[in-house]
Amino acid sequence: MEGRLANMWRLTVNESKFVETALQYELRVDGRGLYDYRKLTIKFGKEYGSSEVQLGQTHVMGFVTAQLVQPYKDRPNEGSLSIFTEFSPMADPSFEPGRPGESAVELGRIIDRGLRESRAVDTESLCVLAGKKVWSVRIDLHILDNGGNLVDAANIAALAALMTFRRPDCTVGGENSQEVIIHSLEEREPLPLIIHHLPIAFTFGFFNNGNIVVMDPTYVEEEVMCGRMTVTVNANGDICAIQKPGEEGVNQSVILHCLRLASSRAAATTKIIREEVEAYNREKNLQKVKRHSTLAKSEVFGPIVVVKEGHKKSSDEDKSAEISQEHVELKNSKEQEAVASPATFKGPETCSVSSDPAIKGKANDSGDAQKEVTGDVEMEDTPEVTKHKDGEKTLRDAVKPKKKKRKNKST
Amino acid sequence: MEYVNPEGLRLDGRRFNEMRQIVAEVGVVSKADGSAVFEMGNTKVIAAVYGPREIQNKSQQKNGHALVLCEYSMAHFSTGDRRRQKNDRRSTELSLVIRQTMEACILTELLPHSQIDIFLQVLQADGGTRSACINAATLALADAGIPMRDLAVSCSAGYLNSTPLLDLNYVEDSAGGADVTVGILPKLDKVTLLQMDAKLPMETFETVFALASEGCKAIAERVREVLQENTKQLEYRRAS
Amino acid sequence: MMRKIQLPFTQTQKVRYERAIERLQSLSSTANSDASVIVTDTIPVNHEDAFLKGHGTSEVEGELLATVCGVVERVDKLVYVRTLRARYKPEVGDIVVGRIIEVAQKRWRVELNFTQDGVLMLSSMNMPDGSQRRRTSVDELNMRNIFVEHDVVCAEVRSIQHDGSLQLHARSQKYGKLEKGQLLKVDPYLVKRSKHHFHYIESLGIDLIIGCNGFIWVGEHVEVRDPVMIDDQKDDEMMISSSSTKEQSHTPLETRQNICRIGNAVRVLSNLGFTVTVEVITETVNLSNSKNVGIYDMIGSEFHVLVAENEAERRRQKRKK
Repeated sequence: MEGRLANMWRLTVNESKFVETALQYELRVDGRGLYDYRKLTIKFGKEYGSSEVQLGQTHVMGFVTAQLVQPYKDRPNEGSLSIFTEFSPMADPSFEPGRPGESAVELGRIIDRGLRESRAVDTESLCVLAGKKVWSVRIDLHILDNGGNLVDAANIAALAALMTFRRPDCTVGGENSQEVIIHSLEEREPLPLIIHHLPIAFTFGFFNNGNIVVMDPTYVEEEVMCGRMTVTVNANGDICAIQKPGEEGVNQSVILHCLRLASSRAAATTKIIREEVEAYNREKNLQKVKRHSTLAKSEVFGPIVVVKEGHKKSSDEDKSAEISQEHVELKNSKEQEAVASPATFKGPETCSVSSDPAIKGKANDSGDAQKEVTGDVEMEDTPEVTKHKDGEKTLRDAVKPKKKKRKNKST
Repeated sequence: MEYVNPEGLRLDGRRFNEMRQIVAEVGVVSKADGSAVFEMGNTKVIAAVYGPREIQNKSQQKNGHALVLCEYSMAHFSTGDRRRQKNDRRSTELSLVIRQTMEACILTELLPHSQIDIFLQVLQADGGTRSACINAATLALADAGIPMRDLAVSCSAGYLNSTPLLDLNYVEDSAGGADVTVGILPKLDKVTLLQMDAKLPMETFETVFALASEGCKAIAERVREVLQENTKQLEYRRAS
Repeated sequence: MMRKIQLPFTQTQKVRYERAIERLQSLSSTANSDASVIVTDTIPVNHEDAFLKGHGTSEVEGELLATVCGVVERVDKLVYVRTLRARYKPEVGDIVVGRIIEVAQKRWRVELNFTQDGVLMLSSMNMPDGSQRRRTSVDELNMRNIFVEHDVVCAEVRSIQHDGSLQLHARSQKYGKLEKGQLLKVDPYLVKRSKHHFHYIESLGIDLIIGCNGFIWVGEHVEVRDPVMIDDQKDDEMMISSSSTKEQSHTPLETRQNICRIGNAVRVLSNLGFTVTVEVITETVNLSNSKNVGIYDMIGSEFHVLVAENEAERRRQKRKK
């Protein structure tokens, strides 16, 4: 990391020696195995195409937006995909505001290589009018907390955001079929991007002159390590990108070993991401159905309907969103239980396979990103849900709500 | 498009495991402590090394080690269309990568409180610029008399028409197939730099990687020849 | 590939030049050429004998490898690699010429073609009035009266600090600010350490100082004032005024031409990569005079070829002896 010396957090000699010595006994400071990943959490925002990933302490958000632009002259039938990284100074004392530094640029380019050059996202389908109008998809990655291994977390954030992104539908019309009409979300269903495969990044840290290999290094380990390598693989066994930017030399055998490790992990992580996205999509679909429902359907959707009449904010819908289809009936009385006991609640969605430690991804569609950052949304849910259980006004109603976000449900 | 014809010849007539012609020269920038020109086919790169000299920016000082700074830039006239901007993201990333590669070779602990600047300028770009830059930087550092633990060399290879190809030129590189750049320390037999873009199945990658490593070894031979010739020349001119 | 001389050679000149260089090559001792190594070459050494690893070597897996390009030198049990093109390697007692780049607190920083800037302490410098006393804060404020930025000074290496920086001192009268001349920069490996670095070429009235760091000063001859005489001049004010008014004496044209001639001779020798000593310089100047080469033409292609041939001849003569 660059940055002024005064702003840098320094690792003491004792700490670095300790980390190195422990690694020689195959012990990592946080108790993980050499090839274990930290806890991965994927959450989604209210908007299409926004995701939030937590990998241990590392916290990254991804946003995908799209715009109609003129295509590049040498590729008139293809849309474009661009990645921008923002290393926010709140994430790390050594990040400086303004121009992205070297590591920010490198991170952007690694993810760019993995996504664009391996043709993960289909760019030809983004073409609307050849040579004139194509969709330009822009991925913004914001680093909120640097706990080490930003590349992997940012990559997953980008993938999750891309998978849940919906671009507006557009038709070509008008005179000479040269006009492009973009349909709003209400007119026509927005379309997802076509994603052929999911390239997942795995970062390795090298210690002890390249003899010790570690996966998913933490911030402390990153300061101590003498070299690193990021391998982007997909579940089909293809290697999409490799980045070993100089530093300590390692043997060829070590590199091939790392590639195999990454390949073997790709399937599991892909599955996790897909499951999270699935869950999120299901909620979203539920919402849409509810949105278009004209009758109260109080037996099933009681609380939500009540909320609409009331002054309550959209968070209530969010509360409903977290409850999956199977548990809808339980809502009235058993919501709290359902929410409070995530284990049972998540029954059908548990990911069973991996050797990775608890992947607790909950597709929590709360419209408020900040709430998720502080974590523990579940706890907040309980009181709110109780509030509007049966349309009764409780004491809590008297309390002025913090946000008065009104979601216009009139359709 | 056919990049390898049925006889096994590529667009410029090479075979799959043939490198382009290498021209290397040391001592081209008179003001620099060390300098070199490295050409691989039509790709031409100049490297100039200044140092070790007094640190300009004391806040960047590293305790007990020399500070290595590297700047990679492409001349505006190096590619067909005059599009290059200085400090665009690719140049920043390549500066970082090349710096870290050279830092692994230089014995920085022997030169505390000093700074080594490596300036790389691409004069003609025809594929494989980062490999040419690393090779040129190695020559320039050796010319400047900076102690190194090994001579870093680099070469690239790709995969088109189901054939692994050594030392891609620009046309082959932009074909959309894989491009693997490998940087090796030949004496220690270690890999410092490894970059790959586009998709490759695992086994194919291993073949391409092996091919690139072979290319690196050939370049290492050439680099050694150049340095030996240069050292001998300097010595017998000086001796009196 | 050789260090190219950036000069346009005609075909005949090229041929003559190549031939001269070849002769030099054949004249150089074969022992030397065998001993040249480049980075990661194994240095042949007898492991049974105890030997000391010097600069430019490192032991890896039982082998002794060179870490720089140069020539292997063996002195008694010490094995080291002498670099050719590298920055100046200081030793205590070296005479160096440098340029002041900064006036800092109680010291001047001097550019020396070394890995760090040299430091000339105020206390290591003679006071303008010649007195020996403790430097006061007034002296510190008046440092600019002694040296300012861009002045050329001559000094001696006093010590090498633990962090590698150089401490200089300029206590004798022959050291100090150098005026009325040219500073030339050559590669440090072309300057051989010897007993005499200060040369006075009487016939031309030129002072020549060959610094061990590769900086060479060519200037009008300045009489080194005898310290005894200074003590007699007790009048402080007069001393200060005479040194500060800088006698605006006009340097005669001939002296200036000679300075340029010697300067160009050094440039030619540096371009060709020949060692720079007083003998070689004077010989080159004589050669230019005898062949009626104009001062500016000295750095042209023809003179380069002449000097190369002359050098080959000179070494051949030397070998014969």
